[in-house]
Amino acid sequence: MMRGLWTRETVAALLLAAYLPLAAFWLWMGGVAALGQLGLVALVIGIWHLVFMLLRAQPPSLAALVTALAIAMLAPENLGVFRLSLGVSFGVVMGELVFGGWGRNVVNPATVALAFLGFGFPTFDWPGFDAPVAWAALPAAGIGVALGVLPAALVAGAVGVGALGVAAGLLSDPVLFAAGIVLVLLVADPVASAATTVGRWINGALYGCLVILFATYWTGAAPVQVAVSAALLASLAAPLLDEAALALWIARRRRRHGRT
Amino acid sequence: MAFLSTGAGLNPEFQSPLEVSGTTDVITEEAALCPPVGPAVRVTPLVQEDEVVARGSAVACLRHNPEICFTAPIAGRVARITLQPGRLLSEIVLFRDDGAGVETHDPKLAETDAGLRRLMQSAGVWPWLRRRPFGGMPAQGETPSAILVMAADTRPLSPDPVEALGGREEDLARGFGALARLTNGPVVFCTHGDAAPWRSFASGRIQIAERGTRHPQASAGICVHGLCPAGLDTPVWDIHAEDVAALGTLLRTGILPMNRLVRIAGAGLREARRLRTHPGADLRQLTRRIAAPGAHVILSGSPLDGHAAHWLAPRHRQVTVLPRYEAPRRQHWLVSALTETAGAGPAIPTAALTQAFGAVLPAAPFIRALEAGDDETAMNLGLLSLLEEDVALADYVLCHGGQLMAQLRAMLDRIRREYAA
Repeated sequence: MMRGLWTRETVAALLLAAYLPLAAFWLWMGGVAALGQLGLVALVIGIWHLVFMLLRAQPPSLAALVTALAIAMLAPENLGVFRLSLGVSFGVVMGELVFGGWGRNVVNPATVALAFLGFGFPTFDWPGFDAPVAWAALPAAGIGVALGVLPAALVAGAVGVGALGVAAGLLSDPVLFAAGIVLVLLVADPVASAATTVGRWINGALYGCLVILFATYWTGAAPVQVAVSAALLASLAAPLLDEAALALWIARRRRRHGRT
Repeated sequence: MAFLSTGAGLNPEFQSPLEVSGTTDVITEEAALCPPVGPAVRVTPLVQEDEVVARGSAVACLRHNPEICFTAPIAGRVARITLQPGRLLSEIVLFRDDGAGVETHDPKLAETDAGLRRLMQSAGVWPWLRRRPFGGMPAQGETPSAILVMAADTRPLSPDPVEALGGREEDLARGFGALARLTNGPVVFCTHGDAAPWRSFASGRIQIAERGTRHPQASAGICVHGLCPAGLDTPVWDIHAEDVAALGTLLRTGILPMNRLVRIAGAGLREARRLRTHPGADLRQLTRRIAAPGAHVILSGSPLDGHAAHWLAPRHRQVTVLPRYEAPRRQHWLVSALTETAGAGPAIPTAALTQAFGAVLPAAPFIRALEAGDDETAMNLGLLSLLEEDVALADYVLCHGGQLMAQLRAMLDRIRREYAA
């Protein structure tokens, strides 16, 4: 029996490769502090993966590094080791590992962890991003879409709505930067986003609309907070969008063929 | 979106040496009558061991449908009849004996519709038909809602079916006429590339469908899914175009030609070959002088969906020879227990997965329904049109090692049991 190579770990490795430009620029701008934060988050996630391998026989995944990068980049600043570990543990365990590991999760573990940290410790400041890091999201998205590991329709939907928002003057630069990075790291996750083409277009557009809505009417919210909240809601809506897209697809086939 | 979907599919590359030009006719010294791939068939042997049989004469019939016969692929002496418990056909081996002659049928029988069916069933054409849903050959009196004639094959290393049809246009047209009498629905001729030579066939219920060159665009199940989906009460048949031409010859001369174009390819060969041989041919004889030194495994079928076999399976038209690699060393039991108990791992929805289904159905929800055993969703997404060979590419791409095909078969069997009850 011959086998291809698109296993879960291949996809995780390709995702990591796609995120490399983003990670490189962020580490370059952030220096040792950023590296320390990434190491700490990766360590906590690694420990949980080890625990679930020993107790539940769930093989660990390279996707842990993708999650670690997303959390380390977007988590509120100066949380301290204990709070950060608590948030990461909640996100990774409740968002991913209890469902059976990466590939069977319903929401992105990084989104859950960031939402937990944001709502749990509201006094800490969210990070801001400089232009070079934000621009690095472009090659990341490009590589991911070209390799087929990031859903092209979702990215296109979000970029389309974002472009409309910019044209209408509703999105400032900091919000745009944060939204772009969150789009690449959290929303476009192939597992937790919608899985049908129509669902992906709507999922991306929904994320864009939520970002515009929050940026316009949520006073006092930091750009990353806006983007992460939009990502959480868009991710929760993904199964519903898929269900609607499938119902539409089935109805169209019924009309054309009289059966599915 | 039409321009996006025309290029859908993948072309996985498998190594194979250069092909020697020219096509030779080969009748192997031994041949076997094997059951069609799919559900097992219960048979009653019509011959004894050591009996001499003519090519095309009936050697076994279905136990509960004695009108449907399996016929001898070569003229010869019956060497061995192997049945499994419950009279399940395993194989009937013949030794070649050219003096035994050829069986001739009465083509006048086909003047009525019932006579045509009877002729096809007694001459051994019936097992070349395959029905969907569930696979296997159709029941005796079944009327399909459509018939697909496959003159396209996108599986890696497959022969070009159009090449097998050269000079047989008249017989093909006659075969089409016969097929159109078996159904009230369309008879669709699926071909890829230039469909111009076949335009003359398109008339009335006979239609032409052009398919792309990437796999699985010309996989029969994907074509059925796109053109005329199969349902529990609306079976769809498919048959290879070369077999339709053979049916045309049978109607013209009364003799069913057994030869078919077969391609032998794969990394375990010194040179690839194309030849005309018969179903049930001895694969060891066919590959003896062209196999590369060293251990190898011979598959009947493509590298994606083929199975290790001694004989060429009834509907197969390609033989794949692969080097046999040593099984990898077993991991420590603790590592296996921690990492391998979860099975093949979840399928991540990527572009590769979508393309592995030719972008004709929502791949990720379909795979999830298969894994979860959600019959209803899978049926809504087109499960009943598909068989193992149609998901073979997705199985290969995802590195599932046959698990996806096994899940599909298990689900189809479960639905059939529930439907029959």
